[in-house]
Amino acid sequence: MDNLKRIEEAVVNGKIDEVKKLTRQALDEKIPPSDILNKGLIKGLEIVGSLYECQKIFVPELLMAGMAMKEALALLKPTLEKSDIPPAGKMVIGTVKGDVHDIGKNIVSMIFTGSGFQVTDLGIDVSAQKYVETVEKEQPDILALSCLYTPTRLAMIDVIKLLQEKNLRNKVKVIIGGAPIDQNFSDMIGADGYAPDPPSAVKKVMAWLGK
Amino acid sequence: MKEDSVFQERRYRINELRAKSEKMTCRERALTALKHREPDRVPIDNWMVPEIQKKMTEYFGCDSYGELLDFLGVDFRNNYGPSYVGQSFKKHPDGTVEDLWGVKRKTVIYGEGTAHQGSYSEVAESPLEKLKTIEEIEKYDHWASPDWWDYSKVKGDCEVYHPKYCVINVGDRLDRTSQLKPMMYLRGMEPTFIDMVMNPKIVETIRDHIIDYFVGYNHRVFKAVEGEIDIFMMGDDIGGQTGPLLSLEMWRKYFKKGFKTYIDIAHQYGIPVMYHTCGDVKQFIPDFIECGLDILQSLQPKATNMDIKKLKQEFGRDITFQGGMDIQHVLPLGKPEDVKAMVKYAMDSAKPGGGYFICTAHNIQVDTPLENVVALFEAYHEYGNY
Repeated sequence: MDNLKRIEEAVVNGKIDEVKKLTRQALDEKIPPSDILNKGLIKGLEIVGSLYECQKIFVPELLMAGMAMKEALALLKPTLEKSDIPPAGKMVIGTVKGDVHDIGKNIVSMIFTGSGFQVTDLGIDVSAQKYVETVEKEQPDILALSCLYTPTRLAMIDVIKLLQEKNLRNKVKVIIGGAPIDQNFSDMIGADGYAPDPPSAVKKVMAWLGK
Repeated sequence: MKEDSVFQERRYRINELRAKSEKMTCRERALTALKHREPDRVPIDNWMVPEIQKKMTEYFGCDSYGELLDFLGVDFRNNYGPSYVGQSFKKHPDGTVEDLWGVKRKTVIYGEGTAHQGSYSEVAESPLEKLKTIEEIEKYDHWASPDWWDYSKVKGDCEVYHPKYCVINVGDRLDRTSQLKPMMYLRGMEPTFIDMVMNPKIVETIRDHIIDYFVGYNHRVFKAVEGEIDIFMMGDDIGGQTGPLLSLEMWRKYFKKGFKTYIDIAHQYGIPVMYHTCGDVKQFIPDFIECGLDILQSLQPKATNMDIKKLKQEFGRDITFQGGMDIQHVLPLGKPEDVKAMVKYAMDSAKPGGGYFICTAHNIQVDTPLENVVALFEAYHEYGNY
C-alpha cells in the first residue's frame, strides 16, 4: 500500500501518532506536500464524512480524525509555504454572541485547518462587531458562524446585517451551523448555506471555492 | 385568577375543550397511560423557560405559575429533590460560582436588550481538564457527597401534590441523575470524547465516582419519600441532531451498566423511570428497553430517525414516550396552524393504546411567539381526547 493510502486510512481510524509518522515519512520521500494534503488527508476526511453521515462513526472518532489532520498539517505547513502553495482558503470562525458552546465549532475549525485552510478562530460569545472587524482585517473567503440554542441563532442575523451595513456581505461567503440550523433558517437570514456536520461543511466550502 | 372579560375570553377555548374530555384526575390519567391503557385524554407535561412561564401566566390572567399549570391542564408536577445543606458554593472574584461538583459556572446572557433576552448557567472551567493520571483524578477533593443534602422535607414537598397530580422527581437540570453530563462538566466535553478513545481508565474512574454519588443519593431520596414520587426522572444527553454523540458500542462499554443500576434502584422502590436525552438515539432504544426503562423523554422531532409515528410502531408496546413537540423550528418559526398540525400528527401517531405523554422536546424557548404557545395547548386539548 502506498504512503498516501496509509495516511488516508490512518485519518479514517483517527490514529494521530500514525498520521504524524506517515506524514513525516512522506515528506522524507519527497512526496509533494499538496499530494499529501489532497490525496492523503482530505481523501481520508471524505471517508470520515460519509461514515459520520451514515452513523458508522460518531463525535469521538470525528474529533480524533480532526486532531490527526490538524497535527499533520502543522508538519506540512513549512514545506507548503516554502513551495509557495497558498492556503486552500481563508476562514474566520466563531460561536455567536450569547452562546458559549464550542465543541462543534472546534471540530469544524480543526478539520478546515487540517484541510489546508488558514483559520482564524474567534472563540465563543463573539459579537457581530468582532466578526465584522475581523472580516475587514483578514478578508477571508469564508465566515463560519456556530450556535447551539434557538434564541442564540438570532444573533447570526445581527452579523449578516452588520456585514451588509459595512458593504462586506458580497465579499465573504457565510456558512452557518449548529443543532438548530437548517437550510430553511439559512435561507431566512440570508446566509450562503449551512452544513449539518463538519465534513459536509468542508465539502460545501470546497465546492464554493471551486476546489 | 383574573376575572376580567378579556382573560375569560382567552381562557374560554381551553376550558371548553377540557370540560368535554376530562373525567379523571391528573394522576389517574398519567398512571393509566403509563400502563399502556387509554385514559380520558393524553396526559400533558410542560417544559418552558421562566420567561415564557411569565408571559403565559400574564396572558391568561393567572396569579401564579401554579395556577397557569392548573388552567392549562398540565398533569405532572415536578419535585426538585432534597434541600442542599452542604458547604456554600464557592464564589470567585471573576464572578464564577462553583457547583455541586466544584465546576466553575458563569451566567451567560443571550439576546441582551432584545425581546428574546434570557440566560443560562454555563460551565466556565472544568477542574479535571488538565489532569493526566488516574492518581491525580482520584485526589480531586470535590466529589459530590449524598451527605450534603437534607432529605427530611422531600416527602412533604411531593405529598402536597397528591392525590391530584402525578409527581415527577426531576432533580435539578445541572444535578440530574446521570453519568456523562457531570463527566463533561468536570473534565470538559472534548477531553471526555478523547478519553473515550484514548484513556478508558480515566472515563471509568470519573464515571464510578459519579455513579457512587447518585446511587447513595437516590436510595436516600426514595427511602425518604415513602411512595410519594410517581416517576423518577434521570437525564443524560447522548443524542445529537444528526445521530448519537457516541456509538452504541461505546455506550455499552462505559454507560449501560450505570444506566441499568439507576433504573434498578428506582424499581426496588416501585418507582417507574423516565430518561431524558435530546437528539437521535433510535439505535439505543432496544437497549433502554432491555434495561427496564419505562419512559423515554424528548423525541426531538427534527433530529434524524426520531419520527414519533415510526418510533411508536416499532417500540410503542414496550416503552412509554414523552415529548415529540419541536422547539427548534415549528414553535419559534412556524405559524399557529403549523403548531396545530404538529400536535395532531403526534397525537394520531402516538396516542392509540396509551403509552404517550405529550410535551415539548425541551423547554419552550424565549424566542417562541406567544400565539404559538397558546395554539400548542389548545391543540393538546383539541386532539388529545380518546
